[in-house]
Amino acid sequence: MQDSIVLAKLDDFLNWGRKNSLWPMTFGLACCAIEMMATGASKYDLERFGCGAFMATPRRADLMIVAGTVSLKMATRIKTLWEQMPGPKYVISMGSCANKGGPYWQHGYHVLKGVDEVVPVDVYVPGCPPRPEALIEGLMTLQRKIARERMARDRWVKHA
Amino acid sequence: MHNQWAQFINTSVPGANATVVAPVGTTDAATGVTTPGIGDSWITVAADEIHAVCKALKQGEHEFTTLQAISGVDYLAEGQIELCYILASMNKNTELILKTRVPRGDGVKLSKLPSVVSVWSAANFLERECFDMFGVSFLGHPNLKRVLCPDDWTGYPLRKDYVVQEKYLDMVINPPSKMNIQEREFGARHAHIAGATTSVENYSVPAPAKEQ
Repeated sequence: MQDSIVLAKLDDFLNWGRKNSLWPMTFGLACCAIEMMATGASKYDLERFGCGAFMATPRRADLMIVAGTVSLKMATRIKTLWEQMPGPKYVISMGSCANKGGPYWQHGYHVLKGVDEVVPVDVYVPGCPPRPEALIEGLMTLQRKIARERMARDRWVKHA
Repeated sequence: MHNQWAQFINTSVPGANATVVAPVGTTDAATGVTTPGIGDSWITVAADEIHAVCKALKQGEHEFTTLQAISGVDYLAEGQIELCYILASMNKNTELILKTRVPRGDGVKLSKLPSVVSVWSAANFLERECFDMFGVSFLGHPNLKRVLCPDDWTGYPLRKDYVVQEKYLDMVINPPSKMNIQEREFGARHAHIAGATTSVENYSVPAPAKEQ
């Protein structure tokens, strides 16, 4: 192996590295966060996907898992946190509340009807709360999405 | 037990006007079987004397050293807001529901009653929550500001006449694209059929016009 050469497209190489080292932010809002913790713990083990390093600061995180009810008071904070994350950054909306308001959808005076009102969402994970398998499925969906990214085309070529 | 407590309140605080309210049982006329009333008894007191009453209950012989909760109820038709203080005595193993009523006001000029923070520190957040949700002002509270809603929120959400605001900052609270418009249209069109309406009053999205 010492003198061998590996040929790969730069996009594929970068995407491979990026999708296998997604670092989520330590950040939970409601009961979905309990499932997220279970997903990160030893039984389901997010680390298998390179996603187990929960960062305590948005400045070192790539992935924001919005796990729980987004109240209007919290929505302003979520937007601030998202703005503090370095790009490329991804958002998983976990559970009914973050997707569309959940049980607070019709009469919730204080709940944002979906976190996509304030931050762009890549993957929605349905469930109330979703089981750890569902969150892992959402994460793998995001990894497939990242694998299809074209950095040069998306960033430097306008109207590609 | 409640009568004893009410007597104690009336002797310690002359203006308290403590009255015991017990659940009313029913007696079947045909069989003569009496069914006891369901629920707990409570004691109503005058709102202006609530601090004196609480102080007497805590420091007196009944030792109500714990305040478990302060909750509010908005009686829209009667124009009053009721505050329920749930007290407990760990030493005597007793629990007491103390109720008082204040005029509900119009949501701008708030009703006032004495704070009990100087009696139990636990009342601090409970009274702030009552202020936040019902718009009741507690005189003598050290830090009376909103606790659940954002500081720049308008209105008091648990008042029965609260109308959901359309926007908070730049966020639309009920975006029309995400509301179940079909269900609301169904409710509006079929309002003349009993039971077919949906309970979507006090809604920031205006209801569609009714079809004749």
